[in-house]
Amino acid sequence: MSVKSATMLKTTYREAVREAIRDAMRRDDRVFLMGEDVGKYGGCYAVSLGLLEEFGPERIRDTPLSEAAFVGAGIGAALGGMRPIVEVMTVNFSLLALDQIVNTAATILHMSGGQFNVPLVIRMATGAGRQLAAQHSHSLEGWYAHIPGIKVLAPATLEDARGMLWAAIEDPDPVLIFEHAMLYGQEGELAEDVAAVDIDKAVIRRAGSDVSLITYGGTFYKTMQAAAELAKDGIEAEVIDLRSLRPLDNGTILDSVRRTHRAVIIDEGWRSGSLAAEVSARITEGAFYELDAPVARVCSAEVPMPYAKHLEEAAIPQLPGIVAAAREVLGTHV
Amino acid sequence: MIKDSPRFEPFSQKPISLLSESGEWIAPFDLDLDEAALKGFYRDLLAARLLDERFIKLQRMGKISFVAPTAGHEAAHVGIAHAVKRGHDWLFPYYRDAGMLLAFGVPATEMMAQMMATKADSHKGRQMPSHPGSQALNVFTVASPIASHIPPAVGTAISMKIRNTGQVVVTSFGDGATSEGDFHAGINFAGAQGAPIVFVCENNRYAISVDYHKQTAAENIAAKASAYGMPGYLVDGMDVLACYYVMQEAVERTRKGLGPVLVETQVYRFGPHSSADDDSRYRPTEEVKAWKQRDPLMRMQRFLEKRGLWTKAWGDSLRNEINEAFSVAIKEAEAAGAIPAEWMFEDVFKDMPRHLKQQLERWRSELSG
Ligand SMILES: Cc1ncc(C[n+]2csc(CCOP(=O)(O)OP(=O)(O)O)c2C)c(N)n1
Repeated sequence: MSVKSATMLKTTYREAVREAIRDAMRRDDRVFLMGEDVGKYGGCYAVSLGLLEEFGPERIRDTPLSEAAFVGAGIGAALGGMRPIVEVMTVNFSLLALDQIVNTAATILHMSGGQFNVPLVIRMATGAGRQLAAQHSHSLEGWYAHIPGIKVLAPATLEDARGMLWAAIEDPDPVLIFEHAMLYGQEGELAEDVAAVDIDKAVIRRAGSDVSLITYGGTFYKTMQAAAELAKDGIEAEVIDLRSLRPLDNGTILDSVRRTHRAVIIDEGWRSGSLAAEVSARITEGAFYELDAPVARVCSAEVPMPYAKHLEEAAIPQLPGIVAAAREVLGTHV
Repeated sequence: MIKDSPRFEPFSQKPISLLSESGEWIAPFDLDLDEAALKGFYRDLLAARLLDERFIKLQRMGKISFVAPTAGHEAAHVGIAHAVKRGHDWLFPYYRDAGMLLAFGVPATEMMAQMMATKADSHKGRQMPSHPGSQALNVFTVASPIASHIPPAVGTAISMKIRNTGQVVVTSFGDGATSEGDFHAGINFAGAQGAPIVFVCENNRYAISVDYHKQTAAENIAAKASAYGMPGYLVDGMDVLACYYVMQEAVERTRKGLGPVLVETQVYRFGPHSSADDDSRYRPTEEVKAWKQRDPLMRMQRFLEKRGLWTKAWGDSLRNEINEAFSVAIKEAEAAGAIPAEWMFEDVFKDMPRHLKQQLERWRSELSG
């Protein structure tokens, strides 16, 4: 990311997303935000708090409670020359708009012979950890990454929470941004005048030579912690933050695995048919002869996300499981 | 009791009220409920209110992570529960219906255990608080995705019609829910196929922060029924007897094979949307105060008092009795203990498939290793 100023500001992931929306609204009057409770309420994760006061109800639009309608209307507004940002409360409720996303937004440029493109950004929360049970807590971004015609982003860091949105708005195609629900409170520092970041490259967040830990979004910090844990035993783990789930950055993944010869993929989605499965397949296709151990995956238990805290914690990837999987591929498992 | 000629006109401009604010019987027909029945309505209203208060207390104590307050909706809850045949008809409720389930006969211990997710929870710790249900009592488990329970409710009603069981379905939802495709698709389907179902909108004028006028340009929700080819009744949702009598007529009408009905009960949510909400952000406190003046419990109390059926002593003893029963229920629910984490692997399928058995085994060995 290009940093123009050295002045660093203390902020949170939530504020970084809000700042990104504010910045986009100021830069381009075609940009507007719509969704449920984005106005006075400030969004169900308080991301848009204060924006109604600043930009007014025409540009911060509370909608009737219909995901199909406001996502579909977002597509239409994009066709009509606007640059909408649509907020869906969670990926779980985006399923009510699945037809609009998959059958319309993702296909229409291609089916119309290139005539109608959809410059639409849809933001939504994803993931577990807030005791909201199965119908609020799943990680379905891997599903969306299956669909040609939409770009799928998963900002894990504050820089990406701040920088990906403008790049997404400038993109001529529909872009889905997945904000893990447990990241909103993440604190950190951000340069005062950050610029847009690329939205098609993975980034090595920690360099290491012994094993590649490949992750994104909600499991990113747990994976960084696991790497720190492994370092105590002299194991140098490389941590790759995928950032973009479609397109996937093969180059960064394969380069890393060719150096470390071992890979563990950490993904809060379910194992079967997952994004982790896709990454694993690419490693097998592109670096099979470089591998010293089978690729391992740490995913969620294949059950609908339970409500009770200890059940929910047991169902999703946690630090000990990530550390154990890394040790296993290194053969240092005890 | 079933009247041959209907008592109520659909599509009225003003909500149907049978009790005045001061508790006078103002209906154009004679009251045909006995004393015990009338006192039963009050008892259930009070129980619903006290259950809500208890849930909120438990949430503040940290024993519940979340609650959807129900105060202000009690007249609709109790009116509905009394109009259907318990254990025979089906309910497809939503998350703000705890009082309805209690009045319908779901045991308090089960309600408490669902909120606290202990071993006594029939949902085994898998549902959020305020998402109860009971297979034994034909109460479908509450869905989080708004309005998603409406098409299944219609399908269950159609199964009753096909099998000629004489049962009906009542499904309830908020005003926000009427914007979802599932509402429109479901109610249209019910109309087209003559399903024995009553749709009840508990219109509290807000969907979290979004007020009614942002939700729809329609004057009221009941009016929407006409486009789906069924009667729509607009009811004062603070008047338990109006809710009951209208629901009773709607339920018996649909039971007779005359097709579905839409009922709108105009209620108000006295509390925040949920324990995670601060409602002062989006609605004026004067509005809340004004609606609290119309408390459904107070109206029923005044009505009973005028008939010599309510005394303070009786009210107090009833309150103590209900509170005591809830305390016992909480103790029972807590005594059941915590749910073993490995229960999460059960019920994904009726029989646990191979891959889940493997995951369970691996999970156990990781725990012990
Ligand atoms: C499909 C879907 N979208 C959004 C939500 C988030 N949400 C939960 S409750 C609610 C408001 C529902 O309002 P209403 O139907 O009027 O019922 P009330 O809560 O007022 O009783 C919303 C938007 C959800 N649960 N499901």
